[in-house]
Amino acid sequence: MTVTEYFTNIKDTATSIFEGMTITLSHLVRKPVTIQYPDRTPRPVKETLPDRFRGFLKVDMEICTACLACMNDCPIDCIKIVTKKDEALKERVLTQFDIDEAKCMYCGLCTEPCPTGAIHFTKEFEGATEDLSSLLFSFVPENQVIIPYKALKKEKEETVNA
Amino acid sequence: MQQLADKLIQHCALLQGLPHELTYLLVEIVFGSLMLMLFVAPFAGIISWVERRVAARMMDRIGPNRVGPQGFLQWLADGVKSLLKEDIVPSSADSFLFRLAPYLVFAGMFMAFVSIPFTSRVIIADLNVGIFYIIAVTSLVVIGILMSGWASNNKFSLLGGMRSAAQIISYEIPAGLAILVVVLMSGSLSLQEIIKAQGAHPWNWFIFDNPFSFCSFFILFISSLAEGNRTPFDIPEAESELVSGYSTEYSGMRFVFFYFEEWANLYLIAAVGVTLFFGGWQIPPSVREWAVGVHFVLPHILEFATFFIKAMSLVFVIIWIRWTLPRLRVDQLMAMCWQYLIPLGFVMVLGTATWIVLFPQGVPLVRYVLFSGTLGLFGYFFYRVVFHLRYTKAELQFNPFV
Amino acid sequence: MPEFRTEEMLLNMGPQHPSTHGVIRFVVKTDGEVMSCAVPDVGYLHRSIEKISEQATYNGFMPWTDRVDYLAAMNCNVAYAMAVEKLAGIEIEKRGEYLRVISMELNRIVSHLLSVGSVGMDVGAYTPFIHALRDREKANDLIEELCGQRLTYNYARIGGVSFDMPVGWQAKVLAYLEDLELLMDEFNRLITGNKIFIKRLANVGVITPEDAIAYNLVGPNLRGSGIKYDLRKDEPYSVYPELDFEVPVGRGEMGTLGDCYDRFVVRIREMDQSISILRQCFAKIPAGEHLVKVPKKIRPPVGDVYIRTESTRGDMGVYLVSDGSDKPYRVKFRTGSFTAMSIVEKASRGLMVADLIAFIANLDIVAPEIDR
Repeated sequence: MTVTEYFTNIKDTATSIFEGMTITLSHLVRKPVTIQYPDRTPRPVKETLPDRFRGFLKVDMEICTACLACMNDCPIDCIKIVTKKDEALKERVLTQFDIDEAKCMYCGLCTEPCPTGAIHFTKEFEGATEDLSSLLFSFVPENQVIIPYKALKKEKEETVNA
Repeated sequence: MQQLADKLIQHCALLQGLPHELTYLLVEIVFGSLMLMLFVAPFAGIISWVERRVAARMMDRIGPNRVGPQGFLQWLADGVKSLLKEDIVPSSADSFLFRLAPYLVFAGMFMAFVSIPFTSRVIIADLNVGIFYIIAVTSLVVIGILMSGWASNNKFSLLGGMRSAAQIISYEIPAGLAILVVVLMSGSLSLQEIIKAQGAHPWNWFIFDNPFSFCSFFILFISSLAEGNRTPFDIPEAESELVSGYSTEYSGMRFVFFYFEEWANLYLIAAVGVTLFFGGWQIPPSVREWAVGVHFVLPHILEFATFFIKAMSLVFVIIWIRWTLPRLRVDQLMAMCWQYLIPLGFVMVLGTATWIVLFPQGVPLVRYVLFSGTLGLFGYFFYRVVFHLRYTKAELQFNPFV
Repeated sequence: MPEFRTEEMLLNMGPQHPSTHGVIRFVVKTDGEVMSCAVPDVGYLHRSIEKISEQATYNGFMPWTDRVDYLAAMNCNVAYAMAVEKLAGIEIEKRGEYLRVISMELNRIVSHLLSVGSVGMDVGAYTPFIHALRDREKANDLIEELCGQRLTYNYARIGGVSFDMPVGWQAKVLAYLEDLELLMDEFNRLITGNKIFIKRLANVGVITPEDAIAYNLVGPNLRGSGIKYDLRKDEPYSVYPELDFEVPVGRGEMGTLGDCYDRFVVRIREMDQSISILRQCFAKIPAGEHLVKVPKKIRPPVGDVYIRTESTRGDMGVYLVSDGSDKPYRVKFRTGSFTAMSIVEKASRGLMVADLIAFIANLDIVAPEIDR
C-alpha cells in the first residue's frame, strides 16, 4: 500500500460515510410510508385494494348455473359441487357448493370460465383463524337445494325463437 | 460524596455511633444504587425505545407505537415480557459459566458508571485515576462476552465470543492513546479535573484545542464504538452471520442483561467522550453566577442539563451511524485498528506533546479556526441533507411523533 | 519446530439461519474465521412442482409455476406459457406480448430490488434494505393492480395474459419509474458508493469468466464475470428484438473482475435498463387483444419443446413433453439458482465466514428455485 493509497482510503471512507449520514438524517424528516394496520389507517385497508384483488372467493348463488366449470378448472380441487335430479321439481338442483378457502391458492382460474360471474373474488383477505374448518365455506345451506340459474338458456331459446 | 457523608454524620445521631468508614460505605452504596436504579436502568430502557424510533424513521417506518403514548412504554413491556420468560440453560452448556457471564457483563458496565460525572458535585466517586479506572473495569465486559461465547457450547456463540475478545482488546490501544492525548493536555486522570481544565465555550473544549486533539476525538469515538460492539463494528453479534453471536443461546432475563449492557454502554461512551473532549458539564461563569443567585440547586440542574444534552447528542450520532453503515469484516476491523487507528493515535500523542511544549498557553487562533471549520462542515452537511430531500422530492413530516 | 496445527471446525449454516435466503444448508469447514470450503446441501424445499405438472391440465399448471421462483413469478409464467404455445402452435397478439414484457420487466425490478437490498442487509446495512423494500412495495402495488396479486401473480395465460392494463395504470407506472430513478440514485449514494460496502464486496468470491462458463452460471452472475450474454439479446424472444437496451456487464471496477461488487453493480444497472425497456414498451404498445382464443382443453401434439427465457436469475428453461393428452407428460424447469449453487464450493475456498454470507446473498439464489 502506498502512502497515497493510505490517505485516499481514509478520505474515501470519511466522505462516503458523510454522504451516507446526510441521507439517513434526511429520512428523519420524511413522511413514513408504512401504514398503521389495522386500526389506525385513514381508510379501511379493504377499501384501498384494487378491483382485481384476489381475496376470498364468494359465489352468488342467485346466478350460479351449476355448469361445474369452476370445479373442473380448479388446479387443486378446493371447490366441491354436487348436483342431483330433484324428483319433485323435475330438474337438476344444487345440493352442495363448498369452497375450501384454506386449500385455495387464489389463482383466479375458477373465475375466468364462469359464464355469469357468479363465482368471484371479494376483498376480504383477513383469513387468520384457529380452526381450519371455519374456512370451509358452504354456499348451499344444509338440507336445502338451490335451483340453478337458467337465464342464459332462456335468452338463447328466445333468440332462437325470434 | 464525602462531604455529603460528613454532613449526614453531623446531622444524624444514629450515624454518629458508627465508625466513619462504615458510614461512608453505606452512603456510597445507597447513593450508588439509587443512581443506578433511578438513572441507568430507565435510561437503558428509554434509549432502546429512542433507538427503535429513530431507526424506524430513518427507514421511513413508524416504529413501536402501541404500548403507551407513541409506544413510549415499549421498553417496560419488553422488560416484563423477558422477566416472565423461561430461563433456558442448554443441556450441553457449561451451566455455571453460562449463568455467570451476563452478570460479569453487567457488572463491568455498571462499575464504570461509578466515576462518570453528572455535575460539578454529583459524582459517585471522583477517583484520581478516573479515566484509567473506566478503561480497566469496562474490560470486564470482554471476559463476560468471551465466557458466554464459550459456555454456550454453540459454534456461532464461540465465534462471536472470539471475535469480541480480539476486537475489544485491540481497540483498547487506540482508545488509550486518544485518552492519553487528553491526559497530556489536562495533566490529570480524574474526570472532574479534566472537565475543569476545559472551558464552557466550545472553542475552549479540548477537541478544538489543536488539530491533534481534534483527530484524537474521532479515534476515541471509533474505538469506543468498537468496544461497545456497535455497528459498523458489531461483528460479535452480527445477526446475518452468527445468528446472534455470543447471546444466541440466552433467553429471558439473561438475554436482557446483554442488551441492557449495550444500551447503557451507549451513555457510557457518550459520557466519556463529552467529559474528555466537549467540556463536560461546564457552563459559562456568568450563567453560573446568575443561577447561584436564584437557587443553590439551579447551577447543578443547568450543569446536568448541559452534560446530558451533549451526551444525548453523541448517543444520537452513535445510533445514527448504526443505521447508516454496513459492518466491517473481522480482518478489516483488525486492519483498521492496527494499520490506521494505532499509528494515527501515536501521531496524535506525539503531536499533542510537541504542541504543548511549543505553545504552553495554547493558540486561540487555531481554536477559533477549528471551531469555525467544524461549523462550516455542519453547514455543508445540512446543505447536503436539504439537497437529498429536494432531489427525491420527498414528502416532509417534521413531527417526530407520527 | 513442528508445524502448529489447529483443528478444523464443522459449522452447520442452515437450514435455519437468518441469511441463507430460504431453507438451504451449508456445511462449512472452518478454521476460526477462515473457511476451507462451504458445501451447499440443497433439497430442503423440494415441493415436487415438476411432478405435480403431470396431474394438472396445461392451464391448471400455470399457478404452480408462480411457486418455482416466487420473486420472479411473471418470468416463470411466461416461460411456461411460451413453451405450451410453441408446442401447440398458438400465435399470440402483439399486445399480449407487450403486456408480458411489461409485466416481466416490472417483475425484474421487483426482484432485483430485493436482491440488492438483501446484499446490503447481509453485510449489516439495514436501512438500504428497507429502502429497497419500500420501493419494491410500490411496484408490488402496481402489479397487484394489474393482476390482483403481489407475489404469486399467475398473470400469463396460454394465448396471452389474463387482464389488459387497468385504466390509468400506464401513467401510474411511468410516475413510479420517475420516482424509482431518483430513489435509486439515493440508494447508490447511500450504499453502492460506501467505502465499507465496497471493501466488503470487492475481491470477494471472485468467479473468473472461465469458471463462470464452466460452472454454467447464467444471468447477472455470468454477466458479473464480464461475459456479455443475455438471452433477450442473443436468442431474442417475444418483442425484445423491437426494444433497445444495453446488457450491463461487470468490469472489475473496484477490484477483480467477477467479484461480488461486479455482480451487485450489474443488478443495479439492469434495473436502469428495465426502466428504459418499460418506457419503450408503453410508447410502442399496440391496440389489440390481450388474450387470443384458445381451445378450452389444450391438447398439444405429441412431441417436446425446450424454451429459454432470461429470467431475473438468468436462463430459465422449460422443457415440455406432450403425449397428446390434456395434461403434460413432463415439465422440467432449468433454473439459474440451481447451477449457481455448484460454484459455491469452489468460490468459497479461503473466504471468511462473513464473506460467505455476502457471497450467497450476491448470487441472488431463491431456495424454491433450486429445489422446485
